[in-house]
Amino acid sequence: MSLTMEAVLALAPDDASAKAARGLTSAGKWPLLGANESAAWGECQGSGSKPYQTQVDLAGPAFRCSCPSRKFPCKHGLALLMIRAQEPQHFKEQEVPGWVAEWLASRTEKAQKKEERLAEKAAAPADPEAAARREAQRWQRIEGAGLELQRWLADQAAQGLGALNHELLQTWHTMAARMVDAQAPGLAFRLREAAAGVQRGADWPERTLQRLGLLQLACEALQRRASLPADVQADLRSTVGWPHDKAEVLASGERVQDRWTVLGVVSEERDDKLTERRVWLHGTTSGRRAWLLDHAFGGKGFEQAWPSGSSVDAALSFFPGSQPLRALCAETPTALAEPLWPSDALAAEWDRVASRVAANPWGGLHPLVVADAVPVQQQGQWWAVAQSRALTLELSDSDGWVLLAVSGGQACTLMGEWDGHRLRPLTAWHGPTATPLWQRSAA
Amino acid sequence: MSAAPQPTDPAWAALLPLAMIGTERHAQGLPPWPGAVGQLVAQAATGAEAPAALLRTAAVLATCGAAGAQGRPWPHPQPDSALADTLPTWPDGPELLTAAWALHEGPVRLQHALLSALSQGQRRLAPALLPQALDLGRRSLALRPGLAAVLGERGVWLAAQRAEWQFASGVSAEQPADQIWQEGSLEQRLALLRRERQADPAAARERLAASLTDLPARERAACTAVLTEGLSLDDGPMLDQLRADRSGEVRQAACALLLRLPQAAHPKRAMARLAALLSRERVLLRQRWVLAAPEAEGSDWKADNLDPVRPKNDTLGERAWWLYQLVRQVPLPWWQEQMSLSPAELLQWAQGGDWAEGLVRGWRDVLLAAPDTAWCEAFLDHWPAQLPNEHPTTLQALLPTAARERHWMRQLRDGSVPLHTTVVQVLAASPAGNPLSAELSAALADQLLARAQARQLADEHVLRNTLPELSAALDNAALERLAHWPRHADESPGWADTLHTLTRVIAVRRALQTIQNQQPSPSP
Repeated sequence: MSLTMEAVLALAPDDASAKAARGLTSAGKWPLLGANESAAWGECQGSGSKPYQTQVDLAGPAFRCSCPSRKFPCKHGLALLMIRAQEPQHFKEQEVPGWVAEWLASRTEKAQKKEERLAEKAAAPADPEAAARREAQRWQRIEGAGLELQRWLADQAAQGLGALNHELLQTWHTMAARMVDAQAPGLAFRLREAAAGVQRGADWPERTLQRLGLLQLACEALQRRASLPADVQADLRSTVGWPHDKAEVLASGERVQDRWTVLGVVSEERDDKLTERRVWLHGTTSGRRAWLLDHAFGGKGFEQAWPSGSSVDAALSFFPGSQPLRALCAETPTALAEPLWPSDALAAEWDRVASRVAANPWGGLHPLVVADAVPVQQQGQWWAVAQSRALTLELSDSDGWVLLAVSGGQACTLMGEWDGHRLRPLTAWHGPTATPLWQRSAA
Repeated sequence: MSAAPQPTDPAWAALLPLAMIGTERHAQGLPPWPGAVGQLVAQAATGAEAPAALLRTAAVLATCGAAGAQGRPWPHPQPDSALADTLPTWPDGPELLTAAWALHEGPVRLQHALLSALSQGQRRLAPALLPQALDLGRRSLALRPGLAAVLGERGVWLAAQRAEWQFASGVSAEQPADQIWQEGSLEQRLALLRRERQADPAAARERLAASLTDLPARERAACTAVLTEGLSLDDGPMLDQLRADRSGEVRQAACALLLRLPQAAHPKRAMARLAALLSRERVLLRQRWVLAAPEAEGSDWKADNLDPVRPKNDTLGERAWWLYQLVRQVPLPWWQEQMSLSPAELLQWAQGGDWAEGLVRGWRDVLLAAPDTAWCEAFLDHWPAQLPNEHPTTLQALLPTAARERHWMRQLRDGSVPLHTTVVQVLAASPAGNPLSAELSAALADQLLARAQARQLADEHVLRNTLPELSAALDNAALERLAHWPRHADESPGWADTLHTLTRVIAVRRALQTIQNQQPSPSP
């Protein structure tokens, strides 16, 4: 793993941690510094009599420190990597001390155990009958909630959206809470999203009606769930917010081995310090697109890095569904030399979107690769113009100007997340094997 | 950034009245839709009650709309793209982040050094850094000339896209001179005028004279200041014309230049006025020089840019103000020639007279407009009490590099001034873009490293704050010595942060040395 200061700073949970870490970059503060190809470790003199033992597994990177900080990684872990990036000559020790060896061994052991547990769980559910009973009960609750929501939707349609005011919108939130109680958080999310969009933007009536219409469709689908094909049932389950078990997906999901190119990555801060990361992949041989979704809490980093434009050999297990995008990485990917970007025509890209929407109308984001796109800024709005049509871009000004600068007003290939209305560009490139021309900055 | 309002999709327009009023109160049923979508809507709505039919229709339209969405037609012509560049770009790869840091957070001197190294190494700035660099130029006038040289066609094109970056738009630096003069940014035109003055002062003067009526005041003043290059008596008539300009800034710039031309008519008149006030007087056995202040304002004063009206709160009295006005139009060598006294003796003489403040202030003004080493040295050695609030660094900056540095070397040797004061003076008086000499750099590095070694820097907040800027000004050999700054386990977080910045400055400067030493390869 090659480290740069910027890569280390990107791991910092906040600016204060990065600043505090910079204050510890004097090798003099570290009576012991050591490293080998897989780990770096050091002892940092803190305020107490005993130095803190800090260690980093470079494969993740994963951190561990004996300091009491709740930040993760703590300033000691960051400082250790900063010194490693800037002054590697200070890492003289190569022999792994006991406390480091012990931690590394426990990590390997844990990973093995996790895999074993998953395998066991997938192979033999604890009590299949009880599990089936629980599942049936949950479906019953959700279907009941769907029926209630359907009646409520009919009331809204009868009364009209024009009468909506703040008080009436409160009832939307109450209904959303009932959906959560009935273990259908996906329906609650969609309802809250619809409430948030009321009287926002010139086209709000149309957008609200679209959202309510799709909720109606979900409710009606729930009523005849049993008669639906298995894939549609799986889509419906995702829509109501009942996640598929990852162990099951890994064990029995559709597995696709391919050379995957990372089209784009986006990390977003959610509520409660939760960071969501979406990684969009393209399979060179299969032509499949895939979506890896990870969450990290409280500033913790993600175990596996997926840099945009990198290419890996990996097996992905797809979640069930009609035309599934979401997948899990079934084994540690092998990094390959350079990206192999897709070169599909825009019409083919739109066909993919149409086909996915037709199969699953509740699907959210679509990876869209827009070939020959010219970024344009007009009256404060960013656009991607291709084939005499324009897509509205969701782009900050700072990102937009850099995109315009690197494109020079010439056409490039733009990859982004399409939500049906706007494209959130993540990556831009020229040519089939070039490194990315531009990447969206972290939010 | 707000999205442009989107017109309602015609497919939805028919449904919206029903949706807004509600199915209870809307007598009419659902309208028909054409084509396959219409068939699907009809099929979905069949048999459903009115609210459900409305929602099902919305579901069909939403799904079909999402499946068929392909953006909107773009009726506008495609904007022009940037012209092709010939110079190679810098930086690339990991150095991109290092350079981005320098432009974003680096010391100002490092930013100057970066732009200047690129220009000397015949490189242009990597496109990804252009927005950041243009933002920097927007905030810093001083960086603009350096920036203009490394923008390339891409940067000039980008600058034209945004109102805040118009200062850098115009034409590429590689275009013909006439085109740059007509269409270039102010910085580009000033650079062209400066080059022309160096090569052919008369041609440059004529170019400026032909455009004077078209230029706004700010640009006339900036162009006038460029006449310092290759200034000669031939410029006298034009400067006389500029003395009568409607902009005060231009008049001031012209008068400042005339101070460098003692043979020109305007300074000659000024000298004659003062000569009439200066006389020798016998006191006991020796003679002394006596200066009188004017008794009344002259009728020709206004035409000669003399301001007889004393500002209300000025510390000078009316006659002293008039004297000050006269003094600030007389070149400094006149005093030495007239009275056969050195600048130091003249300062001493002024202190003994009645009009010391008017004289000292006048001389200071002339010195700033037409720097003179002997006068600067005299002021610095015998700082007049009449200028208590002024900083000597303003005058240090006027000295030639060698004289300036001798001054600081003396301070460093005899320890008469604290190290941090010398460092502040060095930074304030040394223009960005010129590294300090090897001798001064080594002396500063010696003292800094000795103190760091002896752990005497803990409370040196000024040194801590100025170290990054200083490290960007030192010569390469001294900079490399700072790379081995002694680190201690008990150093404060503030110092550790500063030393971290120091290592980044060193990394950037090492990268810049590489491009300065490399011949550029042609642009891909």
